[in-house]
Amino acid sequence: MRAPGRIARGLLTDPDRPVGFRFDGRSMQGLAGDTLAAALLANGQRLVARSFKYHRPRGIVTAGPEEPCALVDVIGVSGREPNRLATTLLLHEGLVAESQNRWPSLRFDVLAVNDLMGRFLPAGFYYKTFMAPGWAWERLYEPLIRRAAGLGRLEAIVGDHAAPAETVHDHADVLVVGAGTAGLAAAHRLGTSGLKVMLADQDVVLGGGSLLDARWSAWRESLCAGLAGLATVRCLPRTTVLGAYGHGVFGALETLSPPEAARFDGLRERLRIIRARRVVCATGALERLIAFPGNDLPGVMLAGAAHQYLRRYGVAVGRRPVFFLNSDEAYEAVFALSGAGIECAVVDVRESSLAAERARALGVEVHGGAVVEGAYGRDGVRAVRVVDVTGRARRELAADCLLMSGGYSPATTLASQLGARLTWQEAIAAFTADLAPAIGQMAGAARGVFGLAAAARDGESAARTLAAQLARPVGAADPGVDLPPDADVTPIAALWEVRGPAKAFVDLQNDVTAADVRLSCREGYEHVEHMKRFTTHGMATDQGRIGGLVGSAVLAQARGVPLWQVGQTRPRPFAQPVPFAALAGGEVREHYRPKRRLPLHDWHEAAGATFVSTGLWLRPLVYSPRQGWEAVLNEARAVRRSVGITDVSTLGKIDVQGPDAARFLDFIYASSFATLAVGRARYGIMLREDGMLLDDGTTSRLAPEHFLVTTTTANATATLEHMEFHLQAVWPRLDVLLTDVGDQWAQFAVAGPRSREVVAAVVAGLELSNEAFPFMAASVATIAGVAGRVFRISFSGELAYELAVPARHALAVWSAVLEAGKRFGIAPYGLDALNTLRIEKGHVTAAELNGNTSADDLGMQRMLKKHGDFIGRALSQRPGLTAPERLQLVGVRPLARAHRLRNGLQLVAPEARTTSLGYVTSSTPSVESDGWVGLALVAGGRRRLGQRLIGTSPVHDEAIEIEIVSPHMLDPENLRVRA
Amino acid sequence: MLRIPCPWCGERDETEFRYRGDASKVRPAADAGLAAFTAYVYERDNHCGWHLEWWLHVGGCRRLLKVVRHTLSHEIHAVGGPEDQLSPPPGLTR
Amino acid sequence: MSAPDSLPMPRATPGIRLASCAVDIVEIAALHGRAPELENIAGARGLDLPVLGRVAVASGQLALGVRPARWLLLARPAHSGATAARWQAACGRAGAAVDLSSGLAAWRLAGPQVRDALARACRLDLDPQVFPAGSAAATVMAQVGVILAVLPSGLLLLTPTSTARHLRAWLASTAKPFGLVSEADVTVGVLSGDRAT
Repeated sequence: MRAPGRIARGLLTDPDRPVGFRFDGRSMQGLAGDTLAAALLANGQRLVARSFKYHRPRGIVTAGPEEPCALVDVIGVSGREPNRLATTLLLHEGLVAESQNRWPSLRFDVLAVNDLMGRFLPAGFYYKTFMAPGWAWERLYEPLIRRAAGLGRLEAIVGDHAAPAETVHDHADVLVVGAGTAGLAAAHRLGTSGLKVMLADQDVVLGGGSLLDARWSAWRESLCAGLAGLATVRCLPRTTVLGAYGHGVFGALETLSPPEAARFDGLRERLRIIRARRVVCATGALERLIAFPGNDLPGVMLAGAAHQYLRRYGVAVGRRPVFFLNSDEAYEAVFALSGAGIECAVVDVRESSLAAERARALGVEVHGGAVVEGAYGRDGVRAVRVVDVTGRARRELAADCLLMSGGYSPATTLASQLGARLTWQEAIAAFTADLAPAIGQMAGAARGVFGLAAAARDGESAARTLAAQLARPVGAADPGVDLPPDADVTPIAALWEVRGPAKAFVDLQNDVTAADVRLSCREGYEHVEHMKRFTTHGMATDQGRIGGLVGSAVLAQARGVPLWQVGQTRPRPFAQPVPFAALAGGEVREHYRPKRRLPLHDWHEAAGATFVSTGLWLRPLVYSPRQGWEAVLNEARAVRRSVGITDVSTLGKIDVQGPDAARFLDFIYASSFATLAVGRARYGIMLREDGMLLDDGTTSRLAPEHFLVTTTTANATATLEHMEFHLQAVWPRLDVLLTDVGDQWAQFAVAGPRSREVVAAVVAGLELSNEAFPFMAASVATIAGVAGRVFRISFSGELAYELAVPARHALAVWSAVLEAGKRFGIAPYGLDALNTLRIEKGHVTAAELNGNTSADDLGMQRMLKKHGDFIGRALSQRPGLTAPERLQLVGVRPLARAHRLRNGLQLVAPEARTTSLGYVTSSTPSVESDGWVGLALVAGGRRRLGQRLIGTSPVHDEAIEIEIVSPHMLDPENLRVRA
Repeated sequence: MLRIPCPWCGERDETEFRYRGDASKVRPAADAGLAAFTAYVYERDNHCGWHLEWWLHVGGCRRLLKVVRHTLSHEIHAVGGPEDQLSPPPGLTR
Repeated sequence: MSAPDSLPMPRATPGIRLASCAVDIVEIAALHGRAPELENIAGARGLDLPVLGRVAVASGQLALGVRPARWLLLARPAHSGATAARWQAACGRAGAAVDLSSGLAAWRLAGPQVRDALARACRLDLDPQVFPAGSAAATVMAQVGVILAVLPSGLLLLTPTSTARHLRAWLASTAKPFGLVSEADVTVGVLSGDRAT
């Protein structure tokens, strides 16, 4: 079963390895090494898509990533993936692809009626027509338009079916982008100089344009072998440089070869983040389309693409091609196809040229001084109408494809992102870019140097410049290599558009015509960037690579100014569509965010804890697999009645040492620490410089010049950074050493009326009586044989101690405490019970320290020291921060004991139910009393003690009566903690 | 992505650092008054050109760096410690 | 033409061997202008404190310099807190010694593909030309802080204990194509090259 289009042996295809695939349900066969596009062309499939807006039939236009039309959905085991480029998608056995944007089928598409209505659907049509009524845009117009327009269909691929991906970080002295003759020569020269080089090319093989010219095979093979032998050079085929991100950082997407993908567990793409000191942009040049009526018919392709399909895959894109061109370079395709026995005709806008003479000598029919006025046919090119440039002589040529070439634009996308300015080059009718020397060099066709040999020499020269800059000067050029000579050429004659009555496209992917560009100009959108947004020219995934300059030229003509004055639109990353999975890399699922685990994580898990994520931490919420409050209340009750133990190792801990430690803490905290005695702890609050609360916690003085600061779990990282910043930026002369000891110390709170007896049983050498070790005492001690620290501090409101030991001894100490507490029925309690206890006591946590509360709001104004400077002192004195109508901390209780409280419940006055007076920040069922209790921030809350408000949650359709009470709902005299 | 040449660690990716704002702002003396502190906390230039700024190298040496960066080109002209007096390149402000 | 270092080894030969290191870790930090004193103090104890970005190896102990005027010292495990207490006493008023034995996990990574695997998260250039033997650096990997040092026996990696399990899981899945095996714990002696494995 030989495919009809396969006429020769391709450079990349293996005739002995047929590959079966399906396109739109039809079984076809290609060869190993084919792209999907090559295999479709070999099978004579010319119609591959319907266009974005007009649903016109479209075929394959290019042979590479610049393809505007041949986008397909690929259906794999993991689902449907839209917008894959047929021109780069490597064929594999069993590939299933479907065309896009058609219904019900590709050949018969209902919405092709849009094309007949085309004169009513110009650029800007949507904006003008679907203006009123305003509501209709979102609900009616947009959904309709979205169904009619658009490309592939997106289906979520979730869970284990999602393709694996990874990110790799690379470093090089020089990144060479593009492995044509310029890139190869540059990489080789740089590599031999000892510089570390990365050579990236989007193609599956290195060589670029030299792959199309058999005379260059020997040179290419010798250079590739040379590169492979250089330890300093890494060659990355299949790797597209996606963008330049400044400071020598580049993003690149590498598609893995099938064998490598298999070794990496099915990994398909790899995102490379490359850091390079210099870059060589040897990105080549892209052939341009010509805007003429019917230039989007299937069968109209770029001339160079036809050349590539023949050389690379042995596929003839047609048997009766007509070329439409304006430069000698484009004749290379003519010579190749003609040499393969295909009967070609050429329409050249120039009267005569050196290449035309050579073509005629080969027997090719050349129509000089003529242009193509239109391509005709239903669903594909059948005939081409040619007109003399004088406009008098017309003739029709039979053709099955039209191969156009409007000249070559140096690929300056990357250079533009690197800040290069574009310069118009009349000789090649295109813009070129120049890089700043500190960034790198342009080389070869990317710099407007056309011809393989000229490009190779240019690459070599760019490499010499860079090597000298990077202090690795190289010797004279290799005399041994003779480059095949470039042919002499007649210059290009610029040709952008052949005007006619029918649609001539400048952007095939977004269906933008030359007439749309002129309309944009008439409407006042004259700047090229405005034209882009008005028409969407160049806004599709191909970013207008083959038609961008043509659009600029049409605009220039409409404005009556030279093209260089109009310029080109600015290209942005990414150079090609990138799957989100590749950007996410390995940081997905369990690796999405680090999880911090407690030293006793395994113990908690074995004890049946349900875990909760708070920040990065995994903390035991309750030691029960069941939902509901019963288990929580049992844990909390044990603390109130006897004793419990909880793991508070998540607290931030900062070791502060040095002669100025106390002075420093007095600057950092609003509370005073200089007056703290050794062996004592003190609760402190910390403000931001704007006067709002940042964090709170206890600080202990272990020695005259040694403090231990604890922070809240939530603010541990931010607090350390806050302290480091102010120590270095504001008080650098203070001699203080800060060390993060958060992970070093495990810390347990042993709380409840029996806690003294339990702690006494495990602590050696420390008298725990109220006199010897009163509330807020701190001391080093030996705990269950381990050198640790004991603090008499309480978050629960009960008599309590916190024991700190090095984390590696956590299990031994925790177990010893449990053993000692057995006779009192000690039970571990989780975060929920901890919360219940502290809410009853009126202690604040991150819910109240929310960044919007001042010390006065939380009733802590008295804690701000009266004398001496501290962060936030000046601005905390602003009258607005102590205004009586501010939200202030209060306790709340439902009047009906059966009612529950919710966090976030809005508090309103019974007579003004739509004006929020505040909200509930924390709530819990109480163990100390019946029903629920909570903390709330209420406008002028302290004046409202005893008032009744309504707690309302519109989303739950709830409204309950609430009483405002003091936040100190438990033991307001603080007797228990001093027991 | 910025690559910041840390004087202690060498050139590192921006992701290792925490931006800490305008380094030209100096904390007023304790008795400077409300207006001075308001300016210190709230008033910032938003200019196109060279900017003196703080970066804390949390992912490396944990030192605070003073950086002279161009807000348009992102070019980094100089990096030093808090004690260093850094200034933009002469004649290149814009 | 694929890059040779992206080709995993056949799984029969492990590309990466990971061992935990049982060590005591103490961070000593100098007060203003007192770093030379700390250097003398350490020198008297047989340890030449390295310059920034280097690791120094002495008999049974290591010193890493990744922060100015601070050093991480690795020594054989002693009774809880004893190593830190000894250094605290030795440092006197020149600086502080803080026990981090429980705060940092220490691993040794060895094998031909350690650098390839780490390049999946490590933003530093670990090429031996750039990061040769004796180098040390603090950086971030898989969103977690790490300290790396190139020792004769392999790469030493220190990381906060609370996220060590996360990093270990990340390494296990990333290094899978290269072949990762866990080895028995190693001692400081092995790290510093006193004794062969």
